[in-house]
Amino acid sequence: MKQMISLEVNGEAHELAVEKNATLLRVLRDQLGLNGPKRGCDSGGCGCCTVHVDGQAVYSCMCYALSYDGASITTAEGLAVDGELHPLQTSFIEAGAVQCGYCTCGMMMAAKQLLDECPRPDEEQIRQGISGNLCRCTGYAKIVEAVKMASER
Amino acid sequence: MALQNLKDFHRPGAVEEVLALLSENDEALVLAGGTFIRGLEARGLLNGLETLVDIRRLGLDTIRVDADGIEAGATATLAKLQRVVAAQNAAWLGGLADALDCPPLQIRNTATLGGCLAASCPFFDIPTALVALDTEITIRGSDGERRLPLPELFFGLFANALEPGELITGLSIPHAAGHSAGAFGKLGAHANVLAIVNVAVQLTVDGGLCSAACVALGGGVADTVVRSPAAEAILTGSKLDPAALAAAGEAVAGDIQPLSDHQASAEYRRAVAKVMTRRTLERAVARLA
Repeated sequence: MKQMISLEVNGEAHELAVEKNATLLRVLRDQLGLNGPKRGCDSGGCGCCTVHVDGQAVYSCMCYALSYDGASITTAEGLAVDGELHPLQTSFIEAGAVQCGYCTCGMMMAAKQLLDECPRPDEEQIRQGISGNLCRCTGYAKIVEAVKMASER
Repeated sequence: MALQNLKDFHRPGAVEEVLALLSENDEALVLAGGTFIRGLEARGLLNGLETLVDIRRLGLDTIRVDADGIEAGATATLAKLQRVVAAQNAAWLGGLADALDCPPLQIRNTATLGGCLAASCPFFDIPTALVALDTEITIRGSDGERRLPLPELFFGLFANALEPGELITGLSIPHAAGHSAGAFGKLGAHANVLAIVNVAVQLTVDGGLCSAACVALGGGVADTVVRSPAAEAILTGSKLDPAALAAAGEAVAGDIQPLSDHQASAEYRRAVAKVMTRRTLERAVARLA
């Protein structure tokens, strides 16, 4: 038996019938078609499912959707405003911080909370801010550079 | 699909409702942040689970600070406690501040204080730091409320001393008396892994001598977080000079029974527990200056 919840996702209100055991990640991807958050480890170890709940970065794979009735969610799809890329998106492109791209959306959502709270982070703070996100391609140097660039925009 | 047998997902609004649900069904699992439960689920350990009781509508997420210390509700997140501890910027809370830096942002924003204690996972960081601060927890059951010093909650590997139908509702961290400083150290492969060894220490000095010492270790040095009475005895009354810190580090070996697992052997844990203890003591001593 499904249960109804309301979610505001990237500024849009949704009424959704969700399975009791569904994670927020499943609802976002499979019911709303938002593929920014990725299903990687699906157990809170890799960070590619990171979204914001009421402005705070969380692993959406670790959240039962029913617990988040009424929450406001932002995914990577919600970063751009009116077609204008977010400074993090522009910087990830310009720094070449993307290879396979699987970690990118989660990485940007973690970095977004860092920049929201600490607009001019040093390298140590950037590395700490994205410590919950794994990248298997880039070796992090270009990701750190991208976050630094975004902080200067 | 995991939790394929889940039938009921309760979101009660009052502690009494939670207690009623738990007393009706001793197989029901309390859900707070869910990070530990999702970890168990992902490993296929909760396939038979039928009932979850989400306690985050109870309003138990407040944290209060006064001259007596810190009172926190069970569903306050690690992030919330971190903000409170950072605002205090006090040497006596140094160990807790160190430990709260360990989990990644996403875990801090989700995991709760009650959850990380109830899990009774010996590899977690925050419980070790809370033991060093003489934290007490408040437990509600159908017979009323009781308080328990934290180490007594931990009964064994993933086992706690909660009776069926009981719920952790909060915790209190007493303000350290006198001139006191704490520190916490963790050995782990990277930010988002469980500790191989973690150590939290609390030192109080009076007239140049250590008047009280607490040394707590976790991360698989035993089935639960443990204190090291031998190390504490060496430190208490000492001048906290390098020889005393080194001797205390050596002494922890006799108070632990390390586990062997995929991360480290028991021998390795025993060896690094000594080093981590000495280094963590050095950090605390530096904070006393």
